[in-house]
Amino acid sequence: MALVLGIETSCDETAVGIVSDRKLLANVISSSVEQHARFGGVVPEVASRAHLEAMQQVIKQALKDASVTLKDIDAIAVTAGPGLIGALLVGVSSASGLALALDKPLYGVNHLSAHIAVNRLDNDVKMSPTIALLVSGGHSSILQVNNLAKDVIVKGATIDDAAGEAFDKIARIMGLGFPGGPVIDKASNDGNKDAINFPRGLTQSIDLEKYRYDFSFSGLKTAVSRYLQQTPNYKKSDVAASFQEAVVDVLISKSLSACKESGIDRLVIAGGVAANSRLRELAKQRCEVSKVELRIPPIGLCTDNGAMVAALGSLAVSEGVSPSQMGISADSAASIAQVIW
Amino acid sequence: MSTILSIDTSTSQTSVALVKDGKVLFSKNHNDALAHGEVLPKLVAQALEKNRGIDLVAVGMGPGPFTGLRVGIAFAQSFAQAAGVSCVGVCSLDAMAANINEGEFIVSTDARRKERYWARYENGKRVSEPAVSRTLELEKLGIKIFNEGDYYPDPVAIAALALSGEKVLQPIYIRKPDAYPLPEGVKFRVMTALDLVVASAIEKEVYGKTAWSSAQFKEEFAKAPKDAYYLAAEAEGELIAYAGIFYVADVADVHTITVVEKYRRKGVGRELLKRLIDWARVKKADVIMLEMRLGNDSARPLYEQYGFIEVSKRENYYGPGLTAVVMRKELK
Repeated sequence: MALVLGIETSCDETAVGIVSDRKLLANVISSSVEQHARFGGVVPEVASRAHLEAMQQVIKQALKDASVTLKDIDAIAVTAGPGLIGALLVGVSSASGLALALDKPLYGVNHLSAHIAVNRLDNDVKMSPTIALLVSGGHSSILQVNNLAKDVIVKGATIDDAAGEAFDKIARIMGLGFPGGPVIDKASNDGNKDAINFPRGLTQSIDLEKYRYDFSFSGLKTAVSRYLQQTPNYKKSDVAASFQEAVVDVLISKSLSACKESGIDRLVIAGGVAANSRLRELAKQRCEVSKVELRIPPIGLCTDNGAMVAALGSLAVSEGVSPSQMGISADSAASIAQVIW
Repeated sequence: MSTILSIDTSTSQTSVALVKDGKVLFSKNHNDALAHGEVLPKLVAQALEKNRGIDLVAVGMGPGPFTGLRVGIAFAQSFAQAAGVSCVGVCSLDAMAANINEGEFIVSTDARRKERYWARYENGKRVSEPAVSRTLELEKLGIKIFNEGDYYPDPVAIAALALSGEKVLQPIYIRKPDAYPLPEGVKFRVMTALDLVVASAIEKEVYGKTAWSSAQFKEEFAKAPKDAYYLAAEAEGELIAYAGIFYVADVADVHTITVVEKYRRKGVGRELLKRLIDWARVKKADVIMLEMRLGNDSARPLYEQYGFIEVSKRENYYGPGLTAVVMRKELK
């Protein structure tokens, strides 16, 4: 039973999680999101300073929650990319310091894969092969996961904005605030999702040939801003609900096509946008109809956290993957193909 | 008996030393301003081969370029926590001054943007707080300056300072993050035909004879959202600013950024400019162009800060005797 401590600092959450193989022991998050709200987006230098300030306390609290000491830890895992480079470096440097002082192995891991790996926690179901829909502020991809630590194939990705980015931008245009995901989700509550028929990007048959599993949200964004411009007395909740429906509909349709066409009857949805209530609801409905086994992490584990990093680290340990060399390079633009550094 | 692991990443150099009761067991530097994160763990791993037991970690807290500086501090603090020992921070400039035998002098390190981090010393003691200044300003003081390159913060000196010197608890950043809060109480939204009555009045007040008419605005709105983008800012329910940009053949052209007198210098123009630039990026424009009237160019420093460079002047552009300054920003 490997005890793994995972550190996540790729954006604005300073997070440390501790897992014992597949069991979640601690998940502590210190967020600087409030410091960024007045800037209308994450300011990298503000986030990096906050990481350094919070790091030691967050580690201490995680150890306390898990009732273990650093001496008990068998391996350290850390997000090495993708993310904000200055922010990643705080995590990677802290993890290196811990690993060297403890003389324990270090695993630099991919942030995106970690979002998927969080599904391993607190259950013993078989996870792969699976189709994975990864949706966050920076990414929207459909992946075929044959083995999360070793064999991940990208089937499609967004050709312009990420889904989370589209939420942020529409929220900004509508004056709803930041971050966009939760505020649009909330504004949609009493809206009619069928009020406005916004376009579903890359779903025409001509697009499906070339962009079968790809996404595009820029046309949708344009359609929403045109609608707002042309409809002076628009109803916020209807626009929010209809926009959200357009995003969620295309995300799930394409994921289920990928399941069907690759003969894999499992779907994992991961990343910050997986916290969206309509996405969760519609995914559940459609997966039931399609007889696809659906896994979505609990809402608290969808957004960035340290438990997911520890979960991927512990998978690497159990799969016998070699630890990273000392002095790994954080990579702000790392692709999903690089799972362990 | 005590063994100190000391670290500094406040300059282009990554430095590590291991000092046991005043005796230097290990001291190594590596010069690469972009590789602190990769180099530091390797140097520390080498140092630990000499002696695994560490009783104290000492680290240079800067001043220094932020990202590199944090590598050393984050590593040192975490190492100390895992080793169950204390981590003591010292001023990196003090560790550079420690090897200089002069009466009165300044040590200075590269702060980028043509500026230096520096502090002043007399007979080995620091007599000023660490600061950041333009290189030219520093030279005006007429005191002998020892620059990064000839000297670096010495990790062995950091070990000594950790025992005897002034302890530094926070990273010495000096500069604030380059971030500007959104102007308070101001809302940004898409500009519509409903804004034109007020906008026309503002146009006349700000631009006089060269003001745009409602018809001109409407013509531009017709290109939105595909090839044009118009934004409005309002405060207390009233239009206080607007901005527009237009895109054709890989070039985005800023049409206007107009803020009413009362709301100038509050960050409204900056926010509008930032959003226009974002839009141009989404459109995958190669360059952004803008013109401003010569003599009415108080926003020029803002444009320059966002990477606009003057490329030409166009005489009589806004009418007889009214010259336009043309500025350009590369996006590629």
